[in-house]
Amino acid sequence: MALIKDQQLSLDHATTPELRFADWLSDGQNNADAVLANGDDDLASLLTHANKLSMIALEFDTFADGRGFSMARILRRAGYQGEIRAVGDVAMDRIDFMQRVGFNAFELRDDQEVTEALSKFGEVTVHFQPSADGKGPAYMA
Amino acid sequence: MYAYNQYDQALVDQRVDQYRDQTRRYLAGEIPEDEFRILRLMNGLYIQRLAPMLRVAIPYGLMKSQQLRAMAEISRVYDKGYGHFTTRQNMQFNWPTLESVPDILADLAKVQMHAIQTSGACIRNTTTDPFAGVSADEIEDTRPWCELIRQWSSLHPEFTYLPRKFKIAVSGSASDRAASQVHDVGLHLYRNDAGEVGFEVIVGGGLGRTPVIGKTVKKFLQPQELLSYLEAVLRVYNLNGRRDNKYKARIKILVNAVGVDTFGEMVEAEWEQLKGGDLRLPWSEIDRVKGFFTGPDYLAAEHAEHDLSRAFAEYPQFATWYRQNTRDHKQGGYRIVVVALKNQLQAPGDVSHQQMDGMAALADEFSFGELRSTHDQNLVLADVAQRDLLALWLKLQDIDLARANVGTLTDMINCPGLDFCSLANAETLVLSRQINETFDDIDYQYDIGDIQLKISGCINACGHHHVGHIGVLGVEKGGKQVYQFTLGGSASEDASLGKTLGRSIEQDQVVVVIGQILDVYVELRETDETFLQLVRRVGFAPFKERVYGTHQRSAA
Ligand code: HEM
Ligand code: SF4
Repeated sequence: MALIKDQQLSLDHATTPELRFADWLSDGQNNADAVLANGDDDLASLLTHANKLSMIALEFDTFADGRGFSMARILRRAGYQGEIRAVGDVAMDRIDFMQRVGFNAFELRDDQEVTEALSKFGEVTVHFQPSADGKGPAYMA
Repeated sequence: MYAYNQYDQALVDQRVDQYRDQTRRYLAGEIPEDEFRILRLMNGLYIQRLAPMLRVAIPYGLMKSQQLRAMAEISRVYDKGYGHFTTRQNMQFNWPTLESVPDILADLAKVQMHAIQTSGACIRNTTTDPFAGVSADEIEDTRPWCELIRQWSSLHPEFTYLPRKFKIAVSGSASDRAASQVHDVGLHLYRNDAGEVGFEVIVGGGLGRTPVIGKTVKKFLQPQELLSYLEAVLRVYNLNGRRDNKYKARIKILVNAVGVDTFGEMVEAEWEQLKGGDLRLPWSEIDRVKGFFTGPDYLAAEHAEHDLSRAFAEYPQFATWYRQNTRDHKQGGYRIVVVALKNQLQAPGDVSHQQMDGMAALADEFSFGELRSTHDQNLVLADVAQRDLLALWLKLQDIDLARANVGTLTDMINCPGLDFCSLANAETLVLSRQINETFDDIDYQYDIGDIQLKISGCINACGHHHVGHIGVLGVEKGGKQVYQFTLGGSASEDASLGKTLGRSIEQDQVVVVIGQILDVYVELRETDETFLQLVRRVGFAPFKERVYGTHQRSAA
């Protein structure tokens, strides 16, 4: 599975955690600092504990489940600086939007061609709404 | 009206390229079917019973004549020479090929149009009052606000995979002509006691399987915070809306589950983080957008005005059309003209390419080159000088669009039903044909007066039957197409859901039953009492008695 990080193919990176956020919580937040979460997890407690985590992998069971978009956005707004990695049903047609809401790493689905995926960032350069990328809407430029 | 700047143009151009590439990869087998389905839906492309169907966005129903001409050309080149206006003010083409859609989108982009977010689980085209900016009873023009919402919602990165589609409607006068209470969010512009203009926010309305009238979630929203508040609503919905069952995924289900007060608190908590921030609209931006909607160069009233009494005497039908199809304008000497897309020969909302070209020419000649589409599937020429009305009426006859039936029984809303739609239980277009044949006496229609007949071919309610004064819903029973009647619905400021009259009716009896219902009305009405008022006053008993009591016409 290829990983894109900060808009580049990443060959040397931490593996995606298998430890689920809920288990990490109930195990007394052992010294692991990377967890796997998804839309069913409690966002409020994820926010409370985010500063102890260097990576939060947000899993998309199906691409149609857009909760992860809002979760990433809120994590960044709360000042989370670690890696937010999109995992699961992650395809090139969504990574640009994902990046805009705050994801910085993408574990692509197996059928995805990496070079082609990299060309999808900035396919649409005009943005009409502020987002986690810190850019304001185009008309405010 | 709004004109694209370099950003808007770049956005649609880039979106065309993006979609062209997605289509190419799909055809090359590189995108799985279910995933491409979502991608094409976000660009308005459905696959229907006989062919794909492309829905083109007409932002808040406003178009220039050259845009309508471009759609006429598209219907000639890529389709069968006609199009269909929907209840959400958009245009649908019923016969394009999947392969040709990128080219259609490129043609649309040349005239500042697109199909972005006309379907799919995202924020759809914002709709509004077709008389915005011209109506005599308006409090505030809704169009600048619709445009601001359009921009904010276009390719919003966070809200493209919502639990379900999301529809916003904006109304700015006491009469609600935008069906705002049956939208996911309805916005009412009004002036509060302190004299400030702001929004009342209604949330959780909708039709479909579970029809609901929206509820007020915020009594007064400062206009500068419109987008921050909408973003908070959408974020709460995106995180909390149900995703396990698509029939329970609309925001109305969430609002009903937690209660509107709790929902409002959830929104306020998120909004706390947003208001006053990046999404707060500076007045400079609001004024910039308002600057696009200052209105055309009207003639002074004394030049626009015209004494029509001689024309009325000479052409009694013109007098009727004037009464039925034109409305008061805020500008002296001008009328709003509603052009009914409801003649005897075409399906409600259908327009041929000749009619599109014809209407574009009439807009150029008589209404400053602009047109609007309406929730009732009609067109509007918003700014016609009185002195031009007769000439306009004469020319409308040449394109079969002079029927003086706005607001009458035959000005019905009708979904495509079994003729086109793969979800349909029953035909609907056959009903509109039968209704037109049976009730062809226009004087009878005038006598019945204001009535809204709305027909859907299945429970998804695209024809809005729940909010018809008379609603007709196609259902299937034992392999037969039968129809359920509802009475007493309304989508206006007095919004209400119709209630079921009784057992389903067989197809060939639908017009008979409509006739019976109207007979009851004629017999029981008091002076000036409309059909809806009567239903609300007398209840269902006399209608039930007439339809089911002595006759054995219903299917079991
Ligand atoms: C022919 C292809 C069509 C298909 C497959 C289709 C499908 C659907 C479905 C499944 C829904 C229900 C969505 C829900 O409850 O969440 C819906 C709603 C709706 N449709 Fe259609 N539709 C079609 C054509 C049309 C047309 C031609 C119009 C306009 C005349 C229309 C107007 C609407 C409207 C206004 C709603 C919203 C009702 C609501 O708020 O729940 N549709 N459509
Ligand atoms: S109401 Fe049903 S039959 Fe009619 S268009 Fe919608 S989905 Fe199709």
